[in-house]
Amino acid sequence: MTNKAQFPVADSRIAASNSPNKFDRRALLVGGGTVLAGLCAYPMIRRLFGPKASVFIARGQRYDGPLEQTIRDGLLASGVLPDAMKGKRVLLKPNLVEPSRKVPQMTTNPAMLLAAAEVFRKWGASVVVGEGPGHVRDTEMAVVESGVQAALDAAGLEFADLNYEEVVWVPNKGGVSSLKGFYFPRSIAEADLVVSMPKLKTHHWVGFTASMKNLYGTLPGIAYGWPKNVLHYAGIPQTVFDINATLTKTVAIVDGIVCMEGDGPIMGSPKRLGLVLVGGNLTAMDATVARIMGLEPDRVSYLSLAADRLGPIADGRIEQRGEAWRPLVSPFKILNVPHLRDLTNDPGVLISHACRPSSLSVHGVA
Amino acid sequence: MGWNDELLDRLAAQVPCGYHPNGPASSEPTALAALALSAANRPATAAIDWLAALQQPDGSIGPTETQSQPGACWPTGWAVLAALAVGRGAGRREFDVPRAVNWILQTAGDPTAGIDESLKTSTLVGSAWVTGTYSWVEPTAIHMLALKAAGFGSHPRTRHAEAMLIDRLLAGGGCNYGNTVVLGQELRPHVQPTGLAMMALAGQASSDRRIARSLDYLTANLLAETTSASLAYGLMGLAAHDRFPADGRNWLQAAYRRTISRDGAAYKLALLSLAALGTNGPLITLPARQIGARGEGRGARD
Repeated sequence: MTNKAQFPVADSRIAASNSPNKFDRRALLVGGGTVLAGLCAYPMIRRLFGPKASVFIARGQRYDGPLEQTIRDGLLASGVLPDAMKGKRVLLKPNLVEPSRKVPQMTTNPAMLLAAAEVFRKWGASVVVGEGPGHVRDTEMAVVESGVQAALDAAGLEFADLNYEEVVWVPNKGGVSSLKGFYFPRSIAEADLVVSMPKLKTHHWVGFTASMKNLYGTLPGIAYGWPKNVLHYAGIPQTVFDINATLTKTVAIVDGIVCMEGDGPIMGSPKRLGLVLVGGNLTAMDATVARIMGLEPDRVSYLSLAADRLGPIADGRIEQRGEAWRPLVSPFKILNVPHLRDLTNDPGVLISHACRPSSLSVHGVA
Repeated sequence: MGWNDELLDRLAAQVPCGYHPNGPASSEPTALAALALSAANRPATAAIDWLAALQQPDGSIGPTETQSQPGACWPTGWAVLAALAVGRGAGRREFDVPRAVNWILQTAGDPTAGIDESLKTSTLVGSAWVTGTYSWVEPTAIHMLALKAAGFGSHPRTRHAEAMLIDRLLAGGGCNYGNTVVLGQELRPHVQPTGLAMMALAGQASSDRRIARSLDYLTANLLAETTSASLAYGLMGLAAHDRFPADGRNWLQAAYRRTISRDGAAYKLALLSLAALGTNGPLITLPARQIGARGEGRGARD
């Protein structure tokens, strides 16, 4: 099963392919074809000559607004070439980790999926929505509860249940965790482009979750469990890095309209930002998202790992398209726990839960 | 022809079965199909043959023919139940039940965990999705059902699994994948794992109030619109405690119509058929029969 990622994006990845220890993302094949060498081994060289990446930000966005236009503008600003999308297979990957109608701030809004699908369809691509929810085995429930099913039916879009498909084993291109490789579902392997469409949320283990952590959901539960405990055992930051290093035919479209703060990614409260962010480099995207949330990117474990290896996190090396990020900063409340406190310079955003007398009863990571 | 007969015709035509029509043949759907077909006195040897061919030397079975994530053998319990239901000598190949049971007995979730030591508060051991990782509700419930059906209802591993499942029930009833309180916040329950946990805990001696609250949670949250897998597991959870709702079969029929209007997935068809059997379903009678044979009655509940 081979699928050459022929996604010509006029951005910095072309420069990256010319650096020592070539990592040609255009030629990365997820599947049985040619799998090229790993990461650049000279981060200092990258820092000096490394490419910039761009992040497009639109503000004042609403789910009932002109999202299709916003996303089109964002993709064009990110260097996507519409003519090159003709005939390509695009998979939109939302975050449907544990949907509940009562908690819309937990999952990617269906309006975002519909808008993105229309953009790619009008460019001649075939589009499917795919997700492997990490906390619930009944994918049908997740798709229905999130409102995505109704949206898919209305738009005639297909859904790929990534938890239960035929899989392809791919060597780990990141090499940071102990995992030798990953099982990717057929829909991921066959896609020409995987669009990470996360909900912008805090995360009680790593600080926040956006386009990079969202790729956990591309891995099947039948191989990794519910939750995907194999990944937790190998280290969350390490496996986020490795998955992103291995699955690189990606762009990001972030649902930052109604977000989640506090005890994310499940139990937090809604926070309206009104933002849509689009970018071709997920590391740069997440660094920008972190700044808007009031977090320090270099203190976020997986971003620190990814810096200058998967993309830039330094502000000076990220081109801002659309809105600048500084005026949009709106600090998110985060849990006042030791592993999160240092992510922010503002102790005023730290919040606590009232602890039960029986203390913390955590059975593994999720 | 009733809807269940029509369902079984569709199911029989898909053996070995997958989760979706275009997906790979997979152990869990095939085992569940064998259970559903044999319960209706229909041939299920093809399903058992397929499972037997997948069985590994250590007795375990993985999710599919080609997926060989080391230790991802959580469907083993389903295969044990299917083989017990269909019986020995029924097919060309024998699924080695004793070897599979021995694998379940020897394999447990890792109580030590490879994560932050300060976060662990429980060393209760059940079963993991992937060997070497933590114990979670659904694989523990699946293997507990298998052990009970195979005559190991009194075995320490079964007792540990029971304790672990009860530990993972939320204070207000119900459970999710297996966390209760995370960083001071109680999580939400979900129907499917709650249903499976209730199936596994049927007939056990515990009088923990959370069991009754979990049954109440299922009763309150099972609706006509509940999606197929959750509906089936939830109804089987209630049936295992003699609380199958009056509208249950109507809901199952409606779920069947929805399923065939979409993809007719064998996995869902098998679950719906098993749930429609109510208290006579093999996932309820097999584990209960073994408990009865050993003289263990149902415990008191409040």
